[in-house]
Amino acid sequence: MTETLAVEVNGLKKSFGTLHALDGLDLRVATGSVAGFLGPNGSGKSTTIRVLLGLLRSDGGTARLLGGDPWRDAVELHRRVAYVAGDVTLWPNLTGGQAIDILGALRGDLDAKRVDRFLQLFDLDPTKKARSYSKGNRQKVGLVAAFASRAELLILDEPTNGLDPLMEGIFTDCVSEAQAAGRSVLLSSHIFAEVEKLCDTVTIIRDGRTVESGTLGELRHLQRSTITVTIDGDPTALGKVPGLHNLTADNGRVSFSVDEDALPAVMTALAPLGPRGLISTPPSLEELFLRHYGVHPSDTEVAAR
Amino acid sequence: MTTAQAQRSSTSQQLGRSRSAHGFEGFGLMIRFILRRNWVRMLVWTVVLAGMVALVVQTQRVAFPTQEDRDAYATIANTPAVAALTGIPYAASTLGGILNIKLWMTVVIALSLAVIFLVTRNGRAEEEAGRTELLRGGVLGQHAYSLANWVVAGAFAFVVGAATTAAAIGQGLPALGAAVMGASFVGVAVVFIGVAAVTGQLSQTSRGANALAAIVLAIAYGLRATADLQAEGDVPSAVSWASPIGWGQQMRSYGENLWWPFALSVAVAVLLCAIALLVERWRDVGEGILPDRRGPQHASALLRTQAGLTLRLQRSTIIGWAVGVLAASVFFGTVATAMAGLLAGDSPITQIFLGGAKDVLDSLVGFFAMANVLLIAAFAIQSADTIRSEEANGRAELQWSHAISRAQWALTRMLVPAVISLVLLATGGYLLGASFGASVNDPGQGPRFAAASLAYWPSVLLMIGFVMFCAAWLPRFATAVSWGVYGFLVVLSMFGDLFGLPDWVIQNTPFTAVPRVGEDFSALPLIVIGVVAIALSVLGLRRLRARDLAAE
Repeated sequence: MTETLAVEVNGLKKSFGTLHALDGLDLRVATGSVAGFLGPNGSGKSTTIRVLLGLLRSDGGTARLLGGDPWRDAVELHRRVAYVAGDVTLWPNLTGGQAIDILGALRGDLDAKRVDRFLQLFDLDPTKKARSYSKGNRQKVGLVAAFASRAELLILDEPTNGLDPLMEGIFTDCVSEAQAAGRSVLLSSHIFAEVEKLCDTVTIIRDGRTVESGTLGELRHLQRSTITVTIDGDPTALGKVPGLHNLTADNGRVSFSVDEDALPAVMTALAPLGPRGLISTPPSLEELFLRHYGVHPSDTEVAAR
Repeated sequence: MTTAQAQRSSTSQQLGRSRSAHGFEGFGLMIRFILRRNWVRMLVWTVVLAGMVALVVQTQRVAFPTQEDRDAYATIANTPAVAALTGIPYAASTLGGILNIKLWMTVVIALSLAVIFLVTRNGRAEEEAGRTELLRGGVLGQHAYSLANWVVAGAFAFVVGAATTAAAIGQGLPALGAAVMGASFVGVAVVFIGVAAVTGQLSQTSRGANALAAIVLAIAYGLRATADLQAEGDVPSAVSWASPIGWGQQMRSYGENLWWPFALSVAVAVLLCAIALLVERWRDVGEGILPDRRGPQHASALLRTQAGLTLRLQRSTIIGWAVGVLAASVFFGTVATAMAGLLAGDSPITQIFLGGAKDVLDSLVGFFAMANVLLIAAFAIQSADTIRSEEANGRAELQWSHAISRAQWALTRMLVPAVISLVLLATGGYLLGASFGASVNDPGQGPRFAAASLAYWPSVLLMIGFVMFCAAWLPRFATAVSWGVYGFLVVLSMFGDLFGLPDWVIQNTPFTAVPRVGEDFSALPLIVIGVVAIALSVLGLRRLRARDLAAE
């Protein structure tokens, strides 16, 4: 299947002096999809985004944005892109409403009706001076400006920083709506629930390199699921099945984690034991993520789920 | 009474006592905290103000060396302009009285602004930034921080008073008069500490607090100007008593040396601080009393353009510099004739002004015209330096991630100072020439000096181009380098002769290479400077397009 790509990054490199911020990073956002971009602070997410916006020049690899060169075609591409920074900086002596208008006018697609609608959704007072806005309200200004635009691609860098849970919910709705309208979204985030709910694909990076990418299903496919089941027989037989790990038993209730390809063998071993109430839990995004950073949730904790 | 009752009663007494003491818990620590964060700026103010007193006494002693000179001056000192600007002159035949005419009002206004800014900086600005909340969340009394702030400002005013007194005595002025003069500075300053204490409680923003207090200062100045204009002899009208500045004037240092208006000032200051404490007692942390001012919901069509946005963001800078430059133009033009009379003989000072011109008066005005141009260049640098400051504070990233090229963005920020400075050169030069022309009955001087000033436009463009160049090539040092080079050029242009530098250096800087009024005009220097300006701008723009975003 050939799909058009809104963002295509291959082997991207960027150094600041001796620091290799990006060291062979790959990232793809299919047109019309929502792509999650995960990584801890300092792993290179914002650097990647700044290269995509033509604010930084890459040292190696290729980066394509909506089919264009993000550095050379910056101005033309930016008409089709809306960007929300993790910490939106505004002009302190202008109001939020004025800032939204200026940014819309810069892109050339300012639509007062759409702005009003998103102002109401995000419950933002546009007549206050930016200097009196809280962190969350400054984020809202950026989000309203981005969602109210007609940009084909939204690049959101930890955009819900400082928003309350209610507003995070509204943000989720707005992203879904944008996707339904055929727009593409690159969402860098720390919030696993947000990414799990919204994103079609996920890219996990570490030290400027992509360590995992694909759909959530694909990522899960490679990882162990956790199974909890009540049995009548003796669980010791299960312990001998290859690919089954972390077996615990408590009054006939057993928990273990299992490699995807070992599942048939486990089922065969389980059947004679009279299994009841079997619950299979796929790995959460958090577990997938933490696995790449050497910080595993303690095995007993996983088994207890 | 049982033992238990007695215990309860003593506990409640303790509670009552400690509750009132708790309002000021941590006062001493806050004093040290505020001193630690402000001592440098307070020291600079003190040295500058005391230094000005010493300097002015010295220059006036040179200007009016004998008692006859001073008596003669006293007969002409009392003009409406002097009364309106610097107060009604009295004791004008003494050196102390002359010092008051020349400097008293300047020190009072400067010191009042200093304490207003100091009180706001440590008061409302801290609260706005959320740091007061941080402190008040710890073990700190409700009023400890505010009271410490006002006490430190009061101590600062007192130190300035003592230092100016010492400076005056050191210059040989009578001790009692000097002490009363110092006290009059302190008296006005403490009233404005009280004013700033109250406005800091009323307004929610530091800008608002400063603006309100400055408005009170302006009203006080206006009231006393009215009173001084309505004076009978050397006694201003009763309106003067409505102005804290008037109270300071009524101490009549070096004249009658009255102390009691000082008590009035201190009493009013204490009253204002008490009012501020009361407000602070019942208002919420972070809130003000005055409503938060709202702004427009939409950007106007002008604001949606790059030039409109740049103009709007620099509105107060532009207005401030325009007022300053135009006022300086009129001032320079007005005093030129009087100063030329003082410039006699062959002193090095005269040499500075003379330059290459034949006529002393003409060259003096030409010198002033160049000083005016240097002011305009300072504005242009400050305005163009937003190319760097916007990139450092992250707002360049906000705009560069939209559909605007860096070159277009930066060009707008060069165009605004270029056009505004062109206007200022024309109007400032014209005003300088016209006000000079008025004193010599020559209406032709306005256009002549407007043209002479405009000849410096390429030089101002050169400074803008240099700022652009620095912002692109040395982003982190751009501001320091731009201003450093400017400062160097100012010293070279104004006082190059004093340092005995070779002529080819002095005559070939961006400002001195331009032919002055009275010299023969030549277009070549202007063309060379213009070409360098364009070259620097182009090199800067090219680099800005080629390099990474360099935020702080």
